[in-house]
Amino acid sequence: MKLSLNWIKDYVKLPDDMDLTRLAYDLTMSTVEVEGAESLAERFDKIIVGDIKEVLPHPNADKLRVCKVDIGEGEIKDIVCGGSNLEVGMKVVVACPGAMVRWHGEGEPVEIKNAKLRGVASFGMICAAVEVGLDDLFPCEDDHGIMDVTAFDAPAGTPLAKALDLDDIILEIDNKSMTNRPDLWGHYGIARELAALYDLPLVEFDKYVPECTSTVDVRIVDGERCPRYIGSKIEGLGVKPSPFEMQSRIWRVGMRPINALVDITNYVMLATGQPTHVFDSNHIIDHIEVRRANEGEKLQLLNDKELNLSTDDLVIADAEGAVALAGVMGGAKDSVLPETNSVILEVANFESKGVRRTALRYDNRTESSSRYEKAVDPERCDQALSLAMKLFSELYPEMKVTAFNDVYPVKLVKKEIDVDFDWLDRRLGKRIPQEIVARKLGTMGYEVTFTEKGMHIVVPTWRSTGDVSIKADIMEEVARMYGYENFEATSITTSFDGAINQLEVDLVRKVKEYLAFRCNMQEIFTYPWMTDEFVTAIMPSTDGILALATPPSPTEKYVKCSLLPNICKAIVKNERNFDEFDIFEEASVFLDRDYTENYKGEKLPCQQKHLGCAFVGSSDNISELFRRAKGVIGMMPRYTHMEAFTFEKLEKPYWADETVWLNICLNGKKIGDLALLSGKAAAACGIKVLSAVLVEINMDELVPLKSRTNRFVHIPEFPMNEYDISFLVDSMVKWDDIYNAVMAKKNELLRDVCFVDEYKGKQIPAGKKSVTIRLVIGSGEKTLTGPEIEQVANSVLKKLNKTIGAEIRTI
Amino acid sequence: MKEKLEALLREGTAKIEAAQSEAELQEVKGALLGKQGSITELLKEIPKLDVALRPEMGKAVNNVKNLLSEQIEGRREAIKLKASEVPADFDCTIPGFEPKIGGLHPITQMCYDLNDAFRSMGFEVFSGPEITSEYYAFDNLNFPPNHPARESMDTYWLEGHDSGEASDKLCLRPHLTGDSVRYMQTHKPPYRFVYPGRVYRNETTDARHERAFFQYEALIVDKDFTYTAGKVMIKSILSKVFGQDVPVRMRAGFFPFVEPGFEIDMGCLVCGGKGCSVCKHVGWIEIMPGGTPHPNVLRAAGLDPDEYTGFYVNIGLDRLVMMRYGVDDVRLFHSTDLRFLKQFR
Repeated sequence: MKLSLNWIKDYVKLPDDMDLTRLAYDLTMSTVEVEGAESLAERFDKIIVGDIKEVLPHPNADKLRVCKVDIGEGEIKDIVCGGSNLEVGMKVVVACPGAMVRWHGEGEPVEIKNAKLRGVASFGMICAAVEVGLDDLFPCEDDHGIMDVTAFDAPAGTPLAKALDLDDIILEIDNKSMTNRPDLWGHYGIARELAALYDLPLVEFDKYVPECTSTVDVRIVDGERCPRYIGSKIEGLGVKPSPFEMQSRIWRVGMRPINALVDITNYVMLATGQPTHVFDSNHIIDHIEVRRANEGEKLQLLNDKELNLSTDDLVIADAEGAVALAGVMGGAKDSVLPETNSVILEVANFESKGVRRTALRYDNRTESSSRYEKAVDPERCDQALSLAMKLFSELYPEMKVTAFNDVYPVKLVKKEIDVDFDWLDRRLGKRIPQEIVARKLGTMGYEVTFTEKGMHIVVPTWRSTGDVSIKADIMEEVARMYGYENFEATSITTSFDGAINQLEVDLVRKVKEYLAFRCNMQEIFTYPWMTDEFVTAIMPSTDGILALATPPSPTEKYVKCSLLPNICKAIVKNERNFDEFDIFEEASVFLDRDYTENYKGEKLPCQQKHLGCAFVGSSDNISELFRRAKGVIGMMPRYTHMEAFTFEKLEKPYWADETVWLNICLNGKKIGDLALLSGKAAAACGIKVLSAVLVEINMDELVPLKSRTNRFVHIPEFPMNEYDISFLVDSMVKWDDIYNAVMAKKNELLRDVCFVDEYKGKQIPAGKKSVTIRLVIGSGEKTLTGPEIEQVANSVLKKLNKTIGAEIRTI
Repeated sequence: MKEKLEALLREGTAKIEAAQSEAELQEVKGALLGKQGSITELLKEIPKLDVALRPEMGKAVNNVKNLLSEQIEGRREAIKLKASEVPADFDCTIPGFEPKIGGLHPITQMCYDLNDAFRSMGFEVFSGPEITSEYYAFDNLNFPPNHPARESMDTYWLEGHDSGEASDKLCLRPHLTGDSVRYMQTHKPPYRFVYPGRVYRNETTDARHERAFFQYEALIVDKDFTYTAGKVMIKSILSKVFGQDVPVRMRAGFFPFVEPGFEIDMGCLVCGGKGCSVCKHVGWIEIMPGGTPHPNVLRAAGLDPDEYTGFYVNIGLDRLVMMRYGVDDVRLFHSTDLRFLKQFR
C-alpha cells in the first residue's frame, strides 16, 4: 500500500523537520514494514516549467520544431521538439540535462543529455505527460501531444513538483505486514499510529447529521453478512473531473482518477480504509436490498466480467435484480454513467470471510474487497460518511441530500480486557510507568480505567473485530509503542537436572556422518513426491501409495513410499558428469496404511524414517560395486554403535537383479534391502551407462547401543602369521561355505581366516574358480616354526578338500 | 718448490670447498691425492732434491697431504648432512592427494551446527511427522478457520484426505510449529527444545522460492519467561552461524500462533548496514519470525497461559545457508546435483 505523507499530515500534525528516515524506521519497528520512501520532488528533479517564446521550423525535419524556451530568469534555450500542440505562450514541462524520463513512456527511465537532433543542438527536452509518468493526471488524446501546464500559473523555471504541488513523500508499506490490522488500510489509521508513537494529537472526524426526513428504502435480508448499510440519495450532481488536488492525491498512492463522483469514493476509502460506492439513483428501482444471490442470477460487473452468481455471494439488489457484488465491485449497468446527475451513496459494512470467498471465486480481488477481507468495523462507516458528505458539498455546492437511511440493527460490541500490572511487568521484564501505558493506549483509542491492581481496558471498535481480544494483545500494544528497542536483553535462567541424552537422535546423525566422512558418500535432498516413470520402474504397483490432491505437476502426484525412485532420478542426473559416485538420503516415507493416533486428536498414516543409498560405478565390475556397498552397510552398526544386523536372502526386492540381492535383517526381522538395480529397472529409469547397487533401510528399526560394547583384547605376545593359500573349487561354492569349513578347524593355533581374492577365466578350468584365502596362525605360548605353520595350513586344505572339493592350485 | 706447495694447498682447499657432491669430491681427491695426483707427483720429486732439503720438504708435503685429507673428510661430512634423498628437480608445488571423503548436505551441516549450539544451552532435539492433520497444522496454532494459508493454493493436501473434519484432513506439513504442540503434549514443562525439519508449500518456484524447504524452530516455555530473554536466544544462534556478533532488531510482526509476534532482522553482513542490493537498501535482512506462544497454543498443549509463557523462533535454514555461502538459487538444494553439493565440505 502506498501512503502520501502530506495526506497523513491532514490528520496528525507531524513536525515540519520530521526526519523521514526515522519515521520510516519507527513505523517499521512498531507497526508495519515500510519498504521504501520516495520523494516526488526527487523523482522530478531537474524537470521544470518552461515558457515557449518562439516556435521555429527545423531546418532538416518537417515534423520537428525548434522552440525558444524561457527556462527561468530570462534564460532562453533552443529545444527541439516534435509535439503537435506547440504554441507560443504555452507553459510546458522541460526535462533539463540530468533529468530522468521514460522515452515515450516505455522502458526504464533514462538520463537526459544535451544532444543534437537532426543537426540542431537541443537543451534537454519538452516532455509529453507519459514521459514523466503523469499521463493519468494529464491525459492526452494525441500521441504527439506534449504536456500543457499553462493552467498552473507557475513562472518559468519553477520545479515541476512545486508547480503541481507534488512535493510529497510516498511511503510504500508491505501489505503482508498488516493483514491482521484492518484499521491501517487508510491514511487515517497510520496517522493514529504515528500520533501514539510521537504523542501528538489526532484530528477527529465530525459526525454527519442528516437533515432530510425522507428515507432511502434499504432492506438488509442477510444481517450476518451485512451488519450495517447507510444509503444516502444525493441530487444536484453531474459527471466532471475532480479538482487537481484530489486527482493528484489519488494518483500519488497508485490509483487512477476517473471523475469526481468515483474519485470521491476512492478518496474516502484511501483516507479512512472504508470502501464506499455510488449508484446512479435513476437506475435503482424502488428500493435497495442486501441479500444472497438467487439461483441462476447473473451480474455484469463494472469491468465487464459477466458472472453467474453463486448463492453464497452477497449482492446489492434493487426491485429488478442484482446491481453490485457486495464489497467487491459495482455492476456495469447501475453505477456512475456519463449522464448521472444523482446518486445513492453506499457506505456499508460487509462480513470479511464472505467477501473473500466471493472475490476469490471470480478471481476478482479489488481495493475494496481486500479491505473488507481484513474485517473492517461497522463504526467506521461514520467517518467515511462524514468525509464523503464534506467532499460532495465542496465539489458540488448545489448538491442536496434528499433521502437517507442508516440500517445498523446490532451494534458491534467492544472487547473489554483486564490487565494486571504485576503480570504486565513480569512478562515485559521491565516496569513501564503507568501514565505512559495509559497515554499510549489512550491515543490509540483504548479507554483505560485504573483498577486496584491494574487496568480495565475497553478496546476501540476498529480493533475489536478479531485483532485485539486478550491481555497478551495489550502487552504487545504497550511494548511496541514503548519501543521494542528500549527493552534490554535479559538472561535465560534454568534449573539443571541432567545432560541431554537422546540416543535415537544421535544415531541418525552418526549414521549420516559415518556415510559422509568415513565412506566417501554425498548426502542429497529430494522432494517428498516422486516422478511417475521412476515409480513405475521401482515399485511393483501404486497400491498403498499416498498422492497429493494438488500435485506440483501431473506426473508428480505420488508421495514417497520409498527413497529409491528419487535416488534413481539423482543417478540419472549425475551420470552425465561423474563415472563413479556414492550418494545417500535420509528422509521420511509415507504409506497409506496403519493409521494410528500417536498424538491426541489425529490419526496419521504410517510414516517411517528411511535411509537410501546408491553406489554407482562402471558395469564392468559389479562385484567391486557390490562389495563396496556391502562393506559400508556391513560395517555401519560397529561404527555407529547400534545393534548389528545380518544379511539374509528372504525376499527379492521387485527392482533387484535376479542374483545380486540381500535383505538386511535385525534379530531375524527384515529391515531393508541391498541389491543391484536390475537391468530392466535401470533401463526404465533411463540410467544409460553405469550400474548401481541400491540400499534402503528403515531407520526406525535401528537400535542404538546405550554404550559401547566391544571389549579390549590383549596384544599377542608371540607373532601372528598370515598364510595365504589358493585353491580351485567349483564356481558355485560360496564364501560362506569356505568360511564355515575353515572355522570348523579353528583352534588355539588357527585364529582366523579372511577372503583375499577370487578369480575366474583364463588358466582356470570352466566351472571352476580360484580362491585365495588368508589364514591367521599363531600360538599364545611360543613363536611358531615354519613347519608348524604349514602343518596348520595343510590341515585346513585337507578339510576344504573333504568338504567342498577344493584342490590346491598347481599353476 | 715451496711456492708450488703453497699454491697447491690454496687451490686444493678451494676445490674441496667447491665440491657439491660426493662424486665431485671424489674427483677432487683423485686429482690431489690419487696415484697421479699433484701431491703424489710432488712427493715423487723429493728424492730428486738436495739431500739437506729432503727431510724438511718431505715433512712439508706430508703436512699438506694430511691437511687436504682432513679437509676432504670434513667436506664429505658436510655434503652428507646437506644431501637430499631425491634429485634436485623434485617439485614441491605438486598438489597433495585429496582425502576421499563425501559430505553432508549444506543444510544438514547448518542444522547440526545449530543443534550443537542449542544442545549446549540444554535444548532437546525433537521431530514430528511430515504428514500432519489440519488439526495440528492450523487449528492448534490459532489459525482462524478461513485463514488463507489453509487453502490448497498454499498447502499440499493429500488426495482423499482433503475434506472433512480438521482431524481427518491430511497434508504435507506447511510449517513445523504444529510439532511444538506435539512435544508439549508428551513432555512435562518447563520446555526447551528445537524441532528442525522439512516443510512444504504449494508455490510457484523460482530462484528465491521453493516448494520444499528446511526450517528450524526453537521453543522455550517456562513460568514468567520475559520476551526480552528471547533476544539472548537469537543472538546465540546468529553468532554461531556467522561466527561473529551480528546486530539484531526485533520489530512488530504478526503470526497467528504468537502474541506478541516479531519479525527479527539482522544487520546486513554484505554492506555492514549501509544498504546494498542484498538488503534492498535498508541495511537489515529479515531472517526469522518469533514471539511469545499465543495463549491458545499453550492451551492446546494443555498448559495454563496465565502460568506459562515462553519464546519461539523459526529460522529458514535455506535462507541462512544461502547467505552463508552466497548461493543465489534456492532450487539448487533439491537439485541432487553433485557438482553443487560437493562444494560444501
